[in-house]
Amino acid sequence: MSLLWLVLLPVVGGLLALPLRDRGARWVALGALAAALALVCAVWSAGDGGRVADLSLAWLPQMGIRLHLALDGISFVLIVLTLVLGLLAVLASWTEIRERVGFFHFNLLWTLAGIVGVFLALDLFLFFFFWELMIVPMYLLIAIWGHENRTHASFKFFLFTQAGGLFLFVAILGLVFVHQQATGELTFDHDRLLDTPMSEGVAFWLMLGFFVAFAVKLPAFPLHTWLPDAHTEAPTAGSLVLAGLLLKTGAYGLLRFAIPLFPQASATFAPYAMALGVAGILYGAVLAFGQRDLKRLIAYTSVSHLGFVLLGLYAWNEMALQGVVLQMVAHGLATGGLFVLVGMLSERTHTRDLEKLGGIWDVAPRLGGAGMVLVMAALGLPGLGSFVAEMLILFGTFRVAPVMTALATLGLVCATIYALWIVQRTFHGENRGGWSFADLRAREAGVLAALIGALLWLGLYPQPVFDVARAALASLQGVVSGGHS
Amino acid sequence: MNGTDLVALGPLLALGAAAVVTLLSIAVRRHQRATATIAGLGLVAAACALPAAADVAPRQVTALVRIDDFALLYIGLFLAAAFATIVLAHDDLRRRAEPHREEFHVLVLLSTLGACVLATSTHFASFFLGLETSSVALYALIAYPRSGPAHAEAGLKYLLLAGASSAFLLFGMALVYADLGALSFDGFAAALLAGRGTPALVWPALALVVAGASFKLAVAPFHMWVPDVYQGAPAPVTGFLATVSKGAVLAALLRLFVALGGVERPVVVWTFGALAVTSMLAGNLLALSQRSLKRLLACSSVAHLGYVLVAFLAAAPVALEAVTWYLVAYFVTTLAAFGVVTVLAGGDREADALDDYRGLFWRRPWLAALLTGCLLSLAGIPLTAGFLAKFYALAAGTSEARWALVVALVVNSALSAFYYLRVVVAMAAPAPAAAPARRVPLGAGVLLAVLALLLVGLGVYPAALTALIRATATALS
Amino acid sequence: MNESYVSLLVLAAVALGLGTVILMLNGLLGPSKPTASKLDTFETGNEPEGDARQRFSIRFYLVAILFILFDIEVVFLFPWAVLFKDYVAAGLGTFMFVEMAVFVGILAIGLAYVWRKGALEWD
Repeated sequence: MSLLWLVLLPVVGGLLALPLRDRGARWVALGALAAALALVCAVWSAGDGGRVADLSLAWLPQMGIRLHLALDGISFVLIVLTLVLGLLAVLASWTEIRERVGFFHFNLLWTLAGIVGVFLALDLFLFFFFWELMIVPMYLLIAIWGHENRTHASFKFFLFTQAGGLFLFVAILGLVFVHQQATGELTFDHDRLLDTPMSEGVAFWLMLGFFVAFAVKLPAFPLHTWLPDAHTEAPTAGSLVLAGLLLKTGAYGLLRFAIPLFPQASATFAPYAMALGVAGILYGAVLAFGQRDLKRLIAYTSVSHLGFVLLGLYAWNEMALQGVVLQMVAHGLATGGLFVLVGMLSERTHTRDLEKLGGIWDVAPRLGGAGMVLVMAALGLPGLGSFVAEMLILFGTFRVAPVMTALATLGLVCATIYALWIVQRTFHGENRGGWSFADLRAREAGVLAALIGALLWLGLYPQPVFDVARAALASLQGVVSGGHS
Repeated sequence: MNGTDLVALGPLLALGAAAVVTLLSIAVRRHQRATATIAGLGLVAAACALPAAADVAPRQVTALVRIDDFALLYIGLFLAAAFATIVLAHDDLRRRAEPHREEFHVLVLLSTLGACVLATSTHFASFFLGLETSSVALYALIAYPRSGPAHAEAGLKYLLLAGASSAFLLFGMALVYADLGALSFDGFAAALLAGRGTPALVWPALALVVAGASFKLAVAPFHMWVPDVYQGAPAPVTGFLATVSKGAVLAALLRLFVALGGVERPVVVWTFGALAVTSMLAGNLLALSQRSLKRLLACSSVAHLGYVLVAFLAAAPVALEAVTWYLVAYFVTTLAAFGVVTVLAGGDREADALDDYRGLFWRRPWLAALLTGCLLSLAGIPLTAGFLAKFYALAAGTSEARWALVVALVVNSALSAFYYLRVVVAMAAPAPAAAPARRVPLGAGVLLAVLALLLVGLGVYPAALTALIRATATALS
Repeated sequence: MNESYVSLLVLAAVALGLGTVILMLNGLLGPSKPTASKLDTFETGNEPEGDARQRFSIRFYLVAILFILFDIEVVFLFPWAVLFKDYVAAGLGTFMFVEMAVFVGILAIGLAYVWRKGALEWD
């Protein structure tokens, strides 16, 4: 039952926050997320490192649909990330969001509830339920509290993810149908569907349905166009949740469902997926340094970083997968941190235009310092989380696809360029805008310090993450073994 | 005809008696609230006759109607929808200050009676009688307010097109009779199975019947009347038209096609498949550019009938379950949506233009939330009944491996999300200078609260409704 | 089965063809000397007066509709009356009587309603 509460806490918190004004709503949101965080840690520490909690209740028994939630290492890592970033999102919007605060936090918490649900669900119907559930509040976050071009961006976000989601839904139904034909059992349960016998052609098409949905969310190269718009126009908390969490649901979906359910077809598809990953890495990086809008720039770096995730996933060996899990966490923290930083900056300057910014370091040295560290984390400087993650992915991939790996490494070079570009344009140089404003306040400094501390920890001592995820990754690999070398 | 038959017909008899009593009460004394109460009690009485009828079901009463669980479920649905219509109309009629508002209730009862007959019909004669009873009352209902030309125009349009469609239907029935000498669905099916049909007559006949029914269902390419009529009719009547009238024709069509074994015939599957795809596309494309909420919902209903037809084409038990689920969800959603439109009307005009909904979230948060729920349900987003409905339609499509239809449904769903969201965005926009809002009357408020609960309840806990439908779905096959 | 339809088709074609041919022959062979009074509307030999598109009072329609309603009632009553004795002989007399009583009763209520509503008054 505690797993159900994990989803229900943000839901209830959202409902409680709805009628409240200003402070009240913010504190309720913080309380709900903190309670959920404590709960998930308690559940995890009570277990032995495998699948610690498993809940399965009848929901729509006539159609073989169950309320099946389970927590294993990967879910745990990602849920902790979700809740921590959720807390930071509430803190980051403390002064930015002034209108309709209750409704804002309602949407924020419901998005987080959907994301937590996605990471917990093991029934495919339930998974899709949560998958769709998070779209609408996220859409409202962008559409109501976003920047100038919010309507267009939110539409694009919704249509892309919705269309992808529906393909996923059809693929799920197809899989269930094939399973029923083969075994006579009507079920949506992930564990039961794992060994569904099916022809190669069918498996390939169904796999493609899953892949498209997850690739849109990830986002993989040709399906990424919604991302820069959505990230740019969303309010800070929205960008944080989008970059830090929503993108991870795509990666998680590939890791948990698309590849294990169709190992054979995925192996066939792996070279193309990896090529898309590499294309994303390079394309995102190249476009990043063509941007003038700081948020848009960071958004494109996300495309680049998630390319590594796609690459590592389809390499499918332990080293690459460990790297993928770590990359998800590190990217969530680093990019999330950058969006928070930009939020703080534009709250003061009311612009995100790189042409107008400059010389901020002199005005606000603490802001500049934090920005410097986060940018370095994004480019993958040793000692920070992303470095370990990207290296692991590259090492893991090199065994499978040396050429792709070599190309992907170019992405790291590009990352250095755009990272330095950000620092130079924003913090260094002369103060062209004549900026003068207060440096970070305690609350803001706390948020950034927490993020930077976590990144440092991941960079210097990532072992805990590996330990937590190891058993889950091993079981996933066990499922797939035979399909991949 | 004996006592048991009368018990089986109880709901229909009660409904008919209710219409007569209501008429009589108007003759005695005009009083809107009293008339509405009598009509509502009549609906309740008809609903109370349902369990007794269920005890003797299934039962064929004459060659015309068959009372079985399937029919009773649909009758219950229609009665509930009619009740909702009367509650909503109570407020609407008062606002319009029409001089003669009592007869409205008689017409609703009569139209519901026709719909109930359609749901029980196993014979072309009762099919036609039910259809006409339902439609004739609707002509008057659509043109009921005499405040402007729009209502009369809508009523006339519906009259002409419904008349034309009835003619198609009759001609098709006549051809069937000419060729096979049968008017009952079973007799028709038996004659077809025995190979007695002349292809040159039977297929055109069926095509005419389908065309006639498609007019009523507003399936593209027979959908031209929908936007004008939806917009012109008063909002409660639009809700009634969208739910009861269409649901009844669909129920009758379902019975006919289960009897004929329609899904085993490729021609039928292709015809309905084509109708489904054109409906989805036409409805959604037309809806994209609408500036009026009622027209938008009208176009969306065309698309939704297309989705239902996908479910329609599955094998009998699956199709019955999926179609019924879809209809229940669609009833709840549509009635709630038009309920919101009704109570938002102010002064002498309805809240129809999208601009009327700008900033609704901040002016009327509850109503805006409900309307958002309805739109999300129509778009098929989780936590709402519409999500499960779409799930059923897709599951029915995949169960027959009709991938083309399934993909068409998916693409159209994504397309449709666009215009539903436009309304949501408009509601979330900053509020313009607010006109003084009318209070939501108690009856309509309670009704909307119940519908909201159903909307979410069906989306969160669908098992109960599925069990109910599954119990009745065996009645036909 | 099909042959009988073929003969039906032939009959329809001949009927249509004959009518068309005769009308056409009439137009081609007959003498035609139009004058003003010949082309005028035929009103029993008088000079036509006023516009043909006159508006009638709405009350005429109401009366016409009511007339049709009760006219049809009689149409239903007639076969019932003719067959009633046979039904009595078959032991269904009470049932048939009650059924017709219900039918007439509903119409009577309708009449009462119409009366009460004032549709039977001319002003």
